[in-house]
Amino acid sequence: MCAESPRWGAHPVGIAYRSGALALAGVVAAILAGCASEPPPPPVAATPNVSPDALVGKWGLASYHRDTDRPRTLKEATAQCSKPYVINKGPNGGVMMYLADQPELQELVLKPGPDGKTYLGPPGDAGTADDRVVSDVEPNSFTTVWVDPDNASRYGTMVYERCGKRA
Amino acid sequence: MKAPAAEYLRRLLIKTALATAVVLAPSFFASAQQIDMNVVDQPGYVPSPEEEQLSGAYEKQIVFFRSSEAPGTILIDTSQRFLYLVQPNNRAIRYGIGVGRQGFQWSGLQKISRKQEWPDWRPPPEMIERQPYLPRFMAGGPGNPLGARALYLGQTIYRIHGTNQPQTIGHAVSSGCFRLVNDDVIDLYGRVPVGTKVIIKQAVAL
Repeated sequence: MCAESPRWGAHPVGIAYRSGALALAGVVAAILAGCASEPPPPPVAATPNVSPDALVGKWGLASYHRDTDRPRTLKEATAQCSKPYVINKGPNGGVMMYLADQPELQELVLKPGPDGKTYLGPPGDAGTADDRVVSDVEPNSFTTVWVDPDNASRYGTMVYERCGKRA
Repeated sequence: MKAPAAEYLRRLLIKTALATAVVLAPSFFASAQQIDMNVVDQPGYVPSPEEEQLSGAYEKQIVFFRSSEAPGTILIDTSQRFLYLVQPNNRAIRYGIGVGRQGFQWSGLQKISRKQEWPDWRPPPEMIERQPYLPRFMAGGPGNPLGARALYLGQTIYRIHGTNQPQTIGHAVSSGCFRLVNDDVIDLYGRVPVGTKVIIKQAVAL
């Protein structure tokens, strides 16, 4: 037959423990209050690891849905330079590109995400519905995937191969 | 001899009836025509099974069909938006199709020169002009505007293909190709070999 566990406050040793715990809580509260009185330091804005210059140029644009189609899609993208997707520098340091389903050019900026990814989209928070994730950036190619799940499922993974390759 | 007033009324009634018929005739013919849709391609859109299911006349069905063409021949009626696969014994399998929109309709005689499963999509230059955000090449797969299968017509740029937009069946929306829902184009693809004769007409006389 198991003995019952001692109840707090019913035993002299328990009373002592309770008093000590309360005192400790008070000290902790004082420390926290002291910390709360100082404003937190402003977050340091991280710089994206991709430069807008890397995206400027004329590109063959292609897309795929199945990863197994990536190698041949990259080849096909190279063959699309008769109808290049042109990316020019924007007036405010960004790049001029199209958002999904929109035929008007807009200035988009590169934004580092808290998840370590690089986002490309309208100025503002990183990772919003209008953004793309930029990856695999090389002098003559890069890849984007739309953040918005509907856009991503429709357009798949989009690959850009530079027309007139850089050395 | 009729009274002048009665004669006047009779002629007035006839004129009114004729005028009414003239006014109503255009709307009658208009209602009898399928109204063209103004639809933009939706690359990547994957329709639900409910959307894929056609009903009524555009559902795949066996129909009575008298033709001098041999079984295995495809006849396309662009005005009624049907594709017939001639069968023996005065029958045909009839599929509902979408056809070219105004200015992109054509007729002629072709043969199936090539067949492809889950074909790649290359939007034509004029489409890229209108929709510059489109990829210039999209690898085949669900969501590809050409759908599950493509049957290429001779050396032309035209195809019989599937679609990711089932709501366009029965309408004139394309740039000249003929589209079927994916289940139907898979069915047709399995029935016809390369070399199949394809006759495209504005109206097919039964």
